[in-house]
Amino acid sequence: MKPESESAGVPAVELKGITKRFPGVVANRDVNLRVMPGTVHAVVGENGAGKSTLMKTLYGMHKPDEGTITLNGEQVVLHNPSDAIARGVGMVHQHFMLADNLTVLENIVLGAEPKRWGGFGLNRAAARTRIREIGKQYGLEVDPDVLVENLGVGDRQRVEIIKVLYRGARVLVLDEPTAVLVPQEVDALFEALQVLKAQGLSIIFISHKLDEVRSVADDITVIRRGTTVATADPKTVSSRQLAELMVGSELPSPQTSESTVTDRPVLEMKHVELVKDGRHLLRDVTLTIHAGEVLGLAGVEGNGQAELVESIMGMRTVDGGTITLAAENITTWTTRRRREAGIGYIPEDRHRHGLILDAPLWENRVLGHQTRHPNTSGPLVNRAGARADTERIVGEYDVRTPSIDVLASSLSGGNQQKLIVGREMSGNPKLLIAAHPTRGVDVGAQAAIWDLLRNARAEGLAVLLISADLDELIGLSDSLTVILRGELVAQVDPSTVTPEQLGSAMTGAGEAA
Amino acid sequence: MRRVTKLVAVAAAATFSLAACGGGSDSDTVDSGDSPTSDIKVGLAYDVGGRGDQSFNDSAAAGLDKAKDEFGVEIKELEASNGETDAAREERLRLLADGGFNPVIGVGFAYATSMGKVAEEFPDTQFAIIDDETLAETPNVTSLVFAEEQGSYLVGAIAAEASKTGNVGYVGGVNTPLLQKFEAGFKQGAEAVNKDIEVQVKYLSQPPDFSGFAAPDKGETTAQGMIDAGADVIYAAAGGSGGGVFKAIKAAGADHWAIGVDSDQYLTAEADVKDIILTSMLKRVDTAVYDFVKSSVDGEVLTGVQRFDLSDEGVAYSLSNEAAIEPFTAKADELKEQIIGGEIKVSDKP
Amino acid sequence: MNKLNADTARRIGLSVAAPVLAVALSVVITSIVLASAGNDPVETFTQMIEYAQEPRTTTLIINAAVTYYFAALAVAFGFRMNLFNIGVDGQYRLAALLAAAVGGAVELPKVLHVGLILLVAVIVGGLWAAVAGLLKVYRGISEVITTIMLNSITTALIAYLLTADKLAVQVEGSNNIGTPEIPASGRVGGIDLVPDSKLQVYGLIVLAAIVGFLYWFVIERSRFGFDLRATGRNEEAAVASGVNVKRMVLISMAISGGIAGLVGMPQLLGASYTYSLDFPAGIGFTGIAIALLGRNTAIGVAIGALLFGFLDTSSQILDLEGVPKEIVLITQGVIVLSVVIAYELVRRYRIVAQQREVGRQLSSAAGSEDSKPQGAQA
Repeated sequence: MKPESESAGVPAVELKGITKRFPGVVANRDVNLRVMPGTVHAVVGENGAGKSTLMKTLYGMHKPDEGTITLNGEQVVLHNPSDAIARGVGMVHQHFMLADNLTVLENIVLGAEPKRWGGFGLNRAAARTRIREIGKQYGLEVDPDVLVENLGVGDRQRVEIIKVLYRGARVLVLDEPTAVLVPQEVDALFEALQVLKAQGLSIIFISHKLDEVRSVADDITVIRRGTTVATADPKTVSSRQLAELMVGSELPSPQTSESTVTDRPVLEMKHVELVKDGRHLLRDVTLTIHAGEVLGLAGVEGNGQAELVESIMGMRTVDGGTITLAAENITTWTTRRRREAGIGYIPEDRHRHGLILDAPLWENRVLGHQTRHPNTSGPLVNRAGARADTERIVGEYDVRTPSIDVLASSLSGGNQQKLIVGREMSGNPKLLIAAHPTRGVDVGAQAAIWDLLRNARAEGLAVLLISADLDELIGLSDSLTVILRGELVAQVDPSTVTPEQLGSAMTGAGEAA
Repeated sequence: MRRVTKLVAVAAAATFSLAACGGGSDSDTVDSGDSPTSDIKVGLAYDVGGRGDQSFNDSAAAGLDKAKDEFGVEIKELEASNGETDAAREERLRLLADGGFNPVIGVGFAYATSMGKVAEEFPDTQFAIIDDETLAETPNVTSLVFAEEQGSYLVGAIAAEASKTGNVGYVGGVNTPLLQKFEAGFKQGAEAVNKDIEVQVKYLSQPPDFSGFAAPDKGETTAQGMIDAGADVIYAAAGGSGGGVFKAIKAAGADHWAIGVDSDQYLTAEADVKDIILTSMLKRVDTAVYDFVKSSVDGEVLTGVQRFDLSDEGVAYSLSNEAAIEPFTAKADELKEQIIGGEIKVSDKP
Repeated sequence: MNKLNADTARRIGLSVAAPVLAVALSVVITSIVLASAGNDPVETFTQMIEYAQEPRTTTLIINAAVTYYFAALAVAFGFRMNLFNIGVDGQYRLAALLAAAVGGAVELPKVLHVGLILLVAVIVGGLWAAVAGLLKVYRGISEVITTIMLNSITTALIAYLLTADKLAVQVEGSNNIGTPEIPASGRVGGIDLVPDSKLQVYGLIVLAAIVGFLYWFVIERSRFGFDLRATGRNEEAAVASGVNVKRMVLISMAISGGIAGLVGMPQLLGASYTYSLDFPAGIGFTGIAIALLGRNTAIGVAIGALLFGFLDTSSQILDLEGVPKEIVLITQGVIVLSVVIAYELVRRYRIVAQQREVGRQLSSAAGSEDSKPQGAQA
């Protein structure tokens, strides 16, 4: 399979020590990547691990703060995507960037070097010939004169690839190319990749579908928490091993000490159903969380976790079953009433659901607690009270900020999250919903947030923990439930289960421990 | 980002709507020829649309121009903005009166309230208002009004005579009491000739949307609808929208006629449609303005309510499309005499 | 900490700089247009400013601004929660018509009479806007579309109602038609605000000030205002925080419409006393421009209203001097567009500057590698 260049040649792409910071977060840290010509090189990692940031660096969409990019042995500085294209790097985005109302040919030549193809009406014929040539050469045949809106997903992707090849790309970056394809289209894509590879092109294949990666890639690089942690040989590595590398095992331990679980139920869900357009988003969900208990909810993303949380929060109206909080039936309550009754909520996406980014910290402290002391008195906002209490949270929860008047967007992800945790722990909650509480935060903040959750548990809170980080889930939870396609399918004991077993249960493959 | 886009879109819309409020403006040019001179300064405030509206503002302008040429008076024209308040109109009249213009003419009934106030402030200035007679009691305001229903009566009769289908149409620009006078006269005239005639009535817009005076596209579709419903003669009392009516009539082919309004549109309409304009209901705003200015120059200014009707040719029907109108003049002139003689009373209410 | 104070000072400076720059830019562009049309820009602006300083004109400017202020506040109220009430125009016209009809039909003691008219206007405007709110909440139709359509429906509705057999009376000899005049008890007299002016400022300027204050107080100080702003800035977070967005949409639309209902009142109760064919239309659209210009704040909108009042009123003199007065429409349009762009630039600059500042302060405090000053290039 592998052409000779593997051992001998100069790498087509070499990234060394790439570090990229965004205000408040480090998206990439000391990333190293070597892609040989004529190979398919997979870059795998969890959502938010930093794959996209890295590829944007390679494609010249932003400059790295540290590190070097070397293409075919020549160190380069890419100021913008045109630079990258000029040096033979092409990118096929996950979301196609095609104009539906133009033909394939028009889409392909759109924005191509105007010097060569300026006044493309004249060069239409030349462009058509060229597209046909590319099609023949790489086995990517598409009628240049058909409207893009008439094409299926697989063909559109092919147009995207041709568009990149048309500009002379020798390195193709494919961002999650299979996410939108059906299995047959995936097969066709992989065949095309083999042809491209045989012609000496390099392909960087970004994915988190491990089986695919193992079948198509010649090399694998794993990214975790913004840095490259390992390379692997697809012939020998197993999907489980890859998953482990992605999730990591040398992280600070999220172990909890002795159990604080009581027999006092705080949250009870009985036979909760949620149906949308005839499809069950949640089916017969029954669970109980006691005071002092952390219930971990494991599952592959998109299996109903968000819907479950939103049902508890009252952001969705359930279609059946009851939800009880501290012996009160809250099934029909509004979100505000539920919050007032003592539900704290650390949302999965803090920018979308947890914060108002262009509001100062103290206003964000009021958010979700608009009706409660000390933020408001009667119908008015108590600015002094809210500000004082924000100062308290900033101090107690170690939110690193120069002032409570800065905008929430100015803080790093970890500090934003600590502010949210502090806010949600205010006002004596009975139940805390923590959805991916440490996603996208740095290691220091992660440890701090784990401490906060442990403290909350020790104080007798019931905690519903949702996380894609299986170590976190196993380490913090007193009991674990697996959700699959909207159903709670297994109960596992966190003290005995391994991430591998849990992973199998999540995909419905393995046996429940 | 999305928010910004939305904002910009709204800003653009707002700007556009602002821009849309402004009409074209071919403003005054105060060049004095070598012709006779006079120390009379005439101020004229237009209604929305101003000079160039191909409707009654233009007609007023024509009268003013004629007076300027003949007597060498100095003139000053000010234009109105869409959706302005009475305060703005008041200020416009006041600026003219304050600037020593005397007489000051307001084109359109919208100036009634404001002129009432300003006339009181400047008792030594003579004002005139077109299309309104609520200020009849104010000594220094002359009301220049027209018997539109009489002229419309005649063209209604002509329409009924010319119609082979027994079905005629009335396209009004904007549904105001003023335009309803046109409608009333037209209907009565048509029914006087053929009591079974069907008269279709449509207005292009409703106040405060005055776009019906400047929407030839609407005029065309409306007329087309009337033709489809059997009409073969259509009276277009719709200012600039009349052009659309003419186009629809032209497209309908032989034996279809249009009737114009205000000025003699056989002479002013585009060449390819003029032959289908049977006649026009002339409303001589130009005459009224001219006469009024002339009276000022002569030192015997017209005062009170000056009604222009069939008897003094203030309203009339045009004869310039000679071949076409010839068969109908006898009947029309007979009716005209009867109206002047008082044997026929034309109501101004539809 | 004084770094941050400096930042605050700079922020305030920038906020002022944005509209000033926008106005300056529009003056430049207007000058170019004027010059290319053969008019002297300096002379033109001088004439406008001199004319504006005449007591009579000043009064007119203030009166125009009072009306504009209500319109802009109505629009701004919706804007604050990302609701685009393009229907202020229809709302105030319908409100003014019905309020005029009610006011002209009854005789009451002064306070009651005026109060009744204002109440009718607010309720009509509010209910009419609430139609768009209901359609948005229960049918998911964008309020932009519905309010624009309601404007047209309003026009048709008014044409239907403003006839002699419904709400209007036909005065003999007039080609106008309007509601019966509101008797003296329902009128609001003017105030001699400008010295040496024969004209009076609308008495309802007091109401405008009160509404402006309430606007500020409700939005900036009340829980309701907090929910409203939260919804405007991040609807999903607001939902998660317990805001009932549907209810907020309905209430906000109704309040926006209620304020819109007041737009026609200075004219109705202070000048015309009747709703007739020539009742001013289109002020709702001016309100949109002014709300954008004033950044939806009570003070900013007041300044914007005065600026537009000045431009509209002073443009009268241009016609007299032989300059097409439509030139001010160009000025207004450019101001609005450049203000939107300028504010957005300033907003982004502020965020980046603040992030850099936070990073710098934290790194000097902690020396941690992860929070070095960020070279943000956004």
